[in-house]
Amino acid sequence: MSLLDNINEWIYSRFKIKDLLTSIVKHPAPDYAVTNPLYCLGGTAFLCFLILVGTGIFLAMYYKPTPLEAYKSVEHIMTVVPMGSLIRSIHHWAANMMIAAVMLHMMRIYFMGAYKKPRELNWVVGVTLLLITTTFGFSGYLLPWDQLAFWATKIGTGIAGSIPIMGQYISLLLVGGTDIGAETMTRFFAIHVMVLPLTTAILLVLHFAMVRIQGISGRL
Amino acid sequence: MSLTETEKKKGEKKDREPVRITGLPFFPHFLLREVVVMCFIAGSLILMASIYPAGLLKPADPFDTPTPIYPEWYFLYVFGFLKFWTWDIGPIDAKMIGVTLPMVLWYGLLFMVPFIDRNPSIDIRKRKVAVALGVIALLGILYFTYFSIVHH
Repeated sequence: MSLLDNINEWIYSRFKIKDLLTSIVKHPAPDYAVTNPLYCLGGTAFLCFLILVGTGIFLAMYYKPTPLEAYKSVEHIMTVVPMGSLIRSIHHWAANMMIAAVMLHMMRIYFMGAYKKPRELNWVVGVTLLLITTTFGFSGYLLPWDQLAFWATKIGTGIAGSIPIMGQYISLLLVGGTDIGAETMTRFFAIHVMVLPLTTAILLVLHFAMVRIQGISGRL
Repeated sequence: MSLTETEKKKGEKKDREPVRITGLPFFPHFLLREVVVMCFIAGSLILMASIYPAGLLKPADPFDTPTPIYPEWYFLYVFGFLKFWTWDIGPIDAKMIGVTLPMVLWYGLLFMVPFIDRNPSIDIRKRKVAVALGVIALLGILYFTYFSIVHH
């Protein structure tokens, strides 16, 4: 018996992972879901999310979320850090592609009627994920602290703030004061790198578990 | 349990949609296609990132408002609707409606789609109303996106 077999045996006798894997590996996917490229859109969004997590961790290692340092640190990433410009640009494009993929995925589900019984709740989780994805975009927009970032956020929080009744609380929660500044920045950073990724990961597990339990909706 | 109840249960089970559909196994068929798509996506991302790098404008200046300011493309329709709606309804301010309608009503409707559309058919020919409403919603979003760019 080779060393690899020994390791395999050691793990298998403790965790029985092989049995779990077989059910995943052999699980049938409907042929129309394999051949029709429209069924790739959800997977594309998920891949973009994974790429965003990877590149995002890289960016978070160099980024400094204060009004004085933020712009300089992004400039540093773009000009000095090896591959920094490429990684930030991939983060930028993956974010846009993720939102496009989520929207197209939703359109496919809508026009194919795949949200119908028993998949109603998965649609609700999906719309929540769309909302979270756009919030990701909104919170990430401020972080470079350039002119576009500052003024787009000012308008965005202004619009959110004029929603009746809850608007002023949403605005206070986001801005953390009367005007956009250091408080806003740390809030947006915390939301962008902690709150939203965690929520997305949890909802994705739910989303995929429901697909697995209920199967993929039938063909048109 | 009475006989009728048991029969009822059996009937319910029959009505239920079959959960497992026979098809191609996840590995290697489904995964292979996924890997091909992943390579394509990763490749196009690297290509786009190399040709059009992410921008960085001048540092933020709270005392200098630049023109024009565009939000991200996926918020343009919200912005466009806000510009489009200029009519007060009774005591409610036009701006209030312009903000609330797309953000609260539109997303509310989106969440409720499976509970509003009770038609069980997934055949597109038997879902004319739902498809028509979907197309109208899409055209609306495209129109307001266009509106926000033109009327800046």
